[in-house]
Amino acid sequence: MSNSLTTSANAPKGFVGVLDYTVGDQAAPVLPTVYWLMTFVALAAAIVMVFAWTPEERSMGLIQKIFYLHLPVAINTFLACLTVFIASIGYLWQRRLWWDDLAAAAAKVAVVYCSVVLLTGMFWARGAWGVWWLFSPRLTFSLVLWFLYVVYLLLRSGIDSGQRRAVIGAVYGIIAFLDVPLVWLSARLMPDMHPGHVALAPAMTLTLAVWFVPMTLLAVGLIVVRYGLNRQITRSLASSSSWDSAESVATRAMETVGGAA
Amino acid sequence: MLYSLRQIFLLVGKDLRIEARSRQTIGLVIVLGLLIVVVLGLGLQGQPAADRSGMAGLERQVNHAGFSATAVLWVAYLFAGVLCFEKTMNVERTDAALAGLMLAPLDRGLIYFAKLISNLVLILAVALVVTPAGVVFFNFDLSAGLGSFIMIVGAAVIGFAAVGTLFAAVVSSSRLQGGLLAMMIFPVSLPLVIVSSRMMTGIFLEARPLETSSLGILIAFDAIFVAAGWLLFDLVLEV
Amino acid sequence: MTSVNSDALNALNGPGGAVATTAVALEQVIQLCELNKWIDQRPVLRRISLEVPRGQFTALLGANGAGKSTLLRILATLLKPSSGQAFLFSQPLGRDTPSLRARIGLVSHQSMLYRDLSARENLEFFGKLYGVADPRQRASQLLGAVGLLDRADDAVGGFSRGMAQRVSIARALVHDPELIFADEPFAGLDAPSTRAVEVLLGRLHQLGKTVVLVNHDIEQTLRLVQRVIVLHKGAVAMDQPAGAVSGGRILELVSAG
Repeated sequence: MSNSLTTSANAPKGFVGVLDYTVGDQAAPVLPTVYWLMTFVALAAAIVMVFAWTPEERSMGLIQKIFYLHLPVAINTFLACLTVFIASIGYLWQRRLWWDDLAAAAAKVAVVYCSVVLLTGMFWARGAWGVWWLFSPRLTFSLVLWFLYVVYLLLRSGIDSGQRRAVIGAVYGIIAFLDVPLVWLSARLMPDMHPGHVALAPAMTLTLAVWFVPMTLLAVGLIVVRYGLNRQITRSLASSSSWDSAESVATRAMETVGGAA
Repeated sequence: MLYSLRQIFLLVGKDLRIEARSRQTIGLVIVLGLLIVVVLGLGLQGQPAADRSGMAGLERQVNHAGFSATAVLWVAYLFAGVLCFEKTMNVERTDAALAGLMLAPLDRGLIYFAKLISNLVLILAVALVVTPAGVVFFNFDLSAGLGSFIMIVGAAVIGFAAVGTLFAAVVSSSRLQGGLLAMMIFPVSLPLVIVSSRMMTGIFLEARPLETSSLGILIAFDAIFVAAGWLLFDLVLEV
Repeated sequence: MTSVNSDALNALNGPGGAVATTAVALEQVIQLCELNKWIDQRPVLRRISLEVPRGQFTALLGANGAGKSTLLRILATLLKPSSGQAFLFSQPLGRDTPSLRARIGLVSHQSMLYRDLSARENLEFFGKLYGVADPRQRASQLLGAVGLLDRADDAVGGFSRGMAQRVSIARALVHDPELIFADEPFAGLDAPSTRAVEVLLGRLHQLGKTVVLVNHDIEQTLRLVQRVIVLHKGAVAMDQPAGAVSGGRILELVSAG
């Protein structure tokens, strides 16, 4: 699996390095294949479980089942945002670009997952209250979160310099995450239609727990894949420098001048 | 400590003197704020004619308008504020004046505080003009809670300027497009809008006293982002 | 246009009076050891090692992108090096550089002035920023030295480029720095203004200041400075006294691919 890019000085060691692989690599490494197989199986099992085994909820009917997708995805969105925060701090602390690649990857997944949260939330709202949208605490929170990280991606796409993009991305990544608890607190002031804490039947709790598995595996897997792509791009930009040419020019020049003087 | 304060006031004095000379920013920003109030006021005249007639109709219109007033004022502050932040930072960008500041034996966090204060002064000036306009156009009765209103707007504007000052430095030094500053500031500032609007609704429409927990959220926002802005400012400056 | 007053030029020196006794004449004001700078993962400066003694008038020459301005900005504490060591006045260029900044001044092709303020207000502002003893008097003194006392209270925005550059030099000198960096100060200036700036830089050198000049015009540079350093693709390609090299040789080096 080793290729010249993974052995460069910038390569992160350890677990993530092992998962690092190039797209189109002929001898596809074992670990990612096993991982995605696992994810697919877990997802399939979760879907089957929800439709075949989990009892239907009395009042809402079929639409309630979207909850089993919604909540794990929402938690993973938050974890992705947390990853952006940690990676942002990491970059500002160490100034190593792999932190920045990680932040960008996590942010992309956060936006995708947050979009799913919003869509599933809207379907839920439609099913439960008959409206496609409501400025309820949770929907408002998800919407603002979505905007926070979409802006993160847009901001990055507008900066050409890799170093500058990393610094600005990190600063915004920190600010955005610091904002999250404040958004949560302020959204709670909105009129709430969500029931307080619904007592879930044991079967439902189990289904929920099962759904966490594929959703988390998917999130982590997507982040790692995206991270790998980002690393590839970053490293290919780095390898276009060449030390030798400048050195030899300088040496030749010094010799020439020494001779003339 | 005292020396730092003197330096901050020196910088703020410089900003305000420049603004007093050119009067560029303040004029634009006030007019923009007024325009927003007028446009939204016209646009929100949405009630059917029948509903608006008679005393009950007038009352309904005034109440409805009163609620809209807080939202309209916020929109005016937001857009005027963004323009303000952009322009105060651009003063430093022309002729690389910022490099002159960075060359000085000056803690760069102090530049942040100074810009923050300058921005607050300008926004205050805008608020002093736009708020009465909004009150008049919308028949918004502030007497029920003028003190609360001032506190809420004051706390919200500080947090807004804290974020705006930092982001304006990002945008101005990266040669990014203009609309980007609004795009960056708005989502982060939404808690301020939500909280202050809810508080104002509570005070003016529902005649409830000032909620200290909500005010606490505003103050927490201010503290967090002034601190974050101060610490991160140096990183976003680029010469 | 008031020309530069050569008597008043003595005022370029700060209230401290005459400069640089022989006791400190051999002090290395700038010391660089294996200095590297990468920008966006591309090397811009490669293993720069050099020393500049006090009172020397040095020039950095090179093609566009050779790294001259980057090096100057690192020395002026506006940029941080990626690796290697840099010392100014035997102090490392670390994180806490306010005290170092009080001893250096930078003149650039951008004036670093506020257009809406007058020349005097600009100088007083920077004077106060640097903690100068009597900013008002110092501002008048410097304006006299650069020959702009009669325009002192006019907004800088209305100045010609040559005049603005002279105020900018005054700004750079307001705190009486020992080390002066000039990054292409002649850019966009007409002949009389260019001559005025040349005279000013020469006078600073005579007063014992250490001056590092980045410039494009090779012949002009050879006339002005004591030592020439040529950068090529981020590395030092030549480091010679100005009298020991010909402009043609330098041009060859600068134009090399």
